[in-house]
Amino acid sequence: MAESGTWEPKIVAFLCNWCSYAGADLAGTSRMQYAPNVRIIRVPCSGRVDPFFILSSLQKGVDGVLVSGCHPGECHYLTGNYSARRKFALLKNLLEFAGIEEGRVQFSWVSASEGVRFAKVIEKMTAQIRDLGPSKKLVKTPPRGPLHAAVNKRFESVLTDRPPHPAPSPRDGGEG
Amino acid sequence: MFSSARIVRKDRLEGFLERLLEDREVFAPVRKGGLVTLEMIDSVRDVILEYENTKESPKAAVFPQRETLFGYQAEKGKVALDVPRGKEKEQVLFGIRPCDARGLLLLDRVFGGDCGDPYYAEKRAKTLVLSLGCVNPNPTCFCHSMGGGPCSPEGSDLFFLDLGDRYMVEVGSDKCEALLEDEAFEDADEKSLALSEKIRKETEASMTPLALNENLKEHLGRLFDDPAWNALAETCLGCGICTYLCPTCHCFDLCDEAEGGTGERIRVWDSCQFPLFTQQASGFNPRPTVKERFRQRIMHKFSYLPETQAMLGCVGCGRCVIECPVNLDIREVMTSLSEGTVPA
Amino acid sequence: MSEMPSMETFVTTEIRETAGDLLRKNKVQVVIGFERGSIPLRSRPCFVRSEKDIDRLVWDGFCENSVARYVAKRDEKMALVAKGCDSRALVELIKENQVARDQVIIIGVPCRGMIDRSRVEALVAPRRILETEEKEDLLVLKGSDFEETVPRSDLLCDSCRTCTHPNPVLADILVGEPVVEEDQDPFDDIEAFDAMRPDERWAYLRNEVNKCIRCYACRNACPLCYCPECFVDTTLPQWIGKSTDTSDTMIFHLVRAYHLAGRCVACGACERACPVGVDIRKLNRKLLKDVRDFFGYEAGLSLDEACPLATFCPDDPEAFIMNP
Repeated sequence: MAESGTWEPKIVAFLCNWCSYAGADLAGTSRMQYAPNVRIIRVPCSGRVDPFFILSSLQKGVDGVLVSGCHPGECHYLTGNYSARRKFALLKNLLEFAGIEEGRVQFSWVSASEGVRFAKVIEKMTAQIRDLGPSKKLVKTPPRGPLHAAVNKRFESVLTDRPPHPAPSPRDGGEG
Repeated sequence: MFSSARIVRKDRLEGFLERLLEDREVFAPVRKGGLVTLEMIDSVRDVILEYENTKESPKAAVFPQRETLFGYQAEKGKVALDVPRGKEKEQVLFGIRPCDARGLLLLDRVFGGDCGDPYYAEKRAKTLVLSLGCVNPNPTCFCHSMGGGPCSPEGSDLFFLDLGDRYMVEVGSDKCEALLEDEAFEDADEKSLALSEKIRKETEASMTPLALNENLKEHLGRLFDDPAWNALAETCLGCGICTYLCPTCHCFDLCDEAEGGTGERIRVWDSCQFPLFTQQASGFNPRPTVKERFRQRIMHKFSYLPETQAMLGCVGCGRCVIECPVNLDIREVMTSLSEGTVPA
Repeated sequence: MSEMPSMETFVTTEIRETAGDLLRKNKVQVVIGFERGSIPLRSRPCFVRSEKDIDRLVWDGFCENSVARYVAKRDEKMALVAKGCDSRALVELIKENQVARDQVIIIGVPCRGMIDRSRVEALVAPRRILETEEKEDLLVLKGSDFEETVPRSDLLCDSCRTCTHPNPVLADILVGEPVVEEDQDPFDDIEAFDAMRPDERWAYLRNEVNKCIRCYACRNACPLCYCPECFVDTTLPQWIGKSTDTSDTMIFHLVRAYHLAGRCVACGACERACPVGVDIRKLNRKLLKDVRDFFGYEAGLSLDEACPLATFCPDDPEAFIMNP
């Protein structure tokens, strides 16, 4: 998809349902203003976040990944965030060791009552990612298509006309 | 069988290669990161010809490990396709070994024929094979037992043999007519012809043939259910080194790599040694363990391919012998299957 | 082929006698050890199931494979000729319930380090080695027209140079003299790498990863990579592509190292198996260091220590957590 104008960071945040997601919700209902660059994905617990979620996000061109969970001792599942803490201590260090810029992948504790804190976390992270610039290192070579033809001169575009095939919409009961 | 021979004096070789580089891609053995590999060269000075064999076989020049078949973009009911344009330049595979040149012949049969692969055919048509004979074969080489030989010109457009201060060049096809006009080539003299014959005979005689069953194809067919396979395959790790480094192995997978409606269909190397190779959607796998997969490799190379393509699926390059992490030696396997004795 | 010097000969004899004894008394169904390879500079794993085959078993400086790799989910009662690293891998495999303790009789062999054959070949290249002979601390290399003697210590595998536990940590029978263990901090190289700029580190790893041909020899040689379905083969979802694309391949190596966090015993089988010389251990060693520094854990040393990612401490390191 072509992007016009200046680049804006795209951040994905994996928020645990019981604490961080509720905290984000509180920020919203309290009408707090914070950077709009974050896309939230709700998970039951920060311990559910598979390192692949983070790596896949980076591979698809996301500029920053946040994982946020309950404060230690407050996990709804008792110990999920403790596991997460161990896992992500290792993962963060490994990625930075490999050369992924420090600050692209971050972790936080935000509780359900911490709407203000959530907004601050997002503001801080967005500013850091804006400074780092677009993520390039793990991005997979973008798929080729007519719009990317300039990227690879060995390709010739051939346009084919196919009769439009309207997809059935659930609202009209699946008529196609 | 091969038409008039030529001579190229060694001090003229560099000039020849430089002229090749002017309007062709040239792949030659180079030293890179401690290994000898076949790479596209920018400079003739990178080329090394005192070497055993390249780490990987040249098959990637006509059958790349990752190849985009087409790109696509679906938009508003229309599908736009990006179809790769062909190679602009001819590619010369210079200094590859006779076993690897023969390997390309097997690939020609597999990717040719009635279901010809246009991607392979396009690259192959633009490929010139200028091979270099072996005068000091590695003890792990067994090309002579696989229908080839250290000084076999089979599969080469031009076959070079080191005579000391010059190369004898045999012409294997008419693809090289333009190349032969280069000033580096002189007519071969009687002395050179005699010397090349002598070197060929001596080199071939220096290699001990494997004791293989004369009717290997049928013999192996009878051994399919033999318990011998259990012991033979026991140490196999089931990795893909043997298949990926092999000049004749050619299995592949087709994948779509896409985001939304935009993507590309690619062909990638696959290996019969990987568990997923024959995994079925139901979950059933007809080759569930390393034993079945190991047996498959041997049967395919020495029984099935001789049946379907009238050619062995092995050219005796010895890479699998050298590179196997557990030193599973295909020569030992074939010998013990031939005589019916297997280590316990 | 070549005659063996005293220590290797002694150990070989002991291994054969022990194996014969265990097989004769039916204490095990198979002895997994090493036999002479088919080409110079190689010994290779072998499975001995009958007393009449015990003379196949050898012990020398080329027993570089991980025999522990053959243990997971095997039903047989087995004896294993185990180097230090093999015994540590077994400890982890037992803790992870891949094999029962009483299923394995460990014939432990203190290890002086394995010889890096690519280093040996590079030393004499382009001359060809036809035969080798180990004489205590020396390795004699013989070709058709040369003979060279090199100190063994010059030729060790990288993983053996940094090994802190060459003596088996778990063994039912110990064969050979214990080796002096170096009290060294083996992570200087990781600290040096860490001191490079991020872009430099990325460039180095990207170059390494671009050599990778996705043969999975590293994974298959590893004693702790035993998943029936590896993450590279999952299709719902497909995490990474199958091709040698740089991004996919980098993620393969990052994730494989990560899946071994707290489990890798630094045997080096991965790096030795690699046909194209990828610096695989770099990432593994970074995790070895972090697991030691953060959680005070080293894999393979104790059957009683819980696996670090299966447990936690209330005061685990938290400095990496963002505080806005």
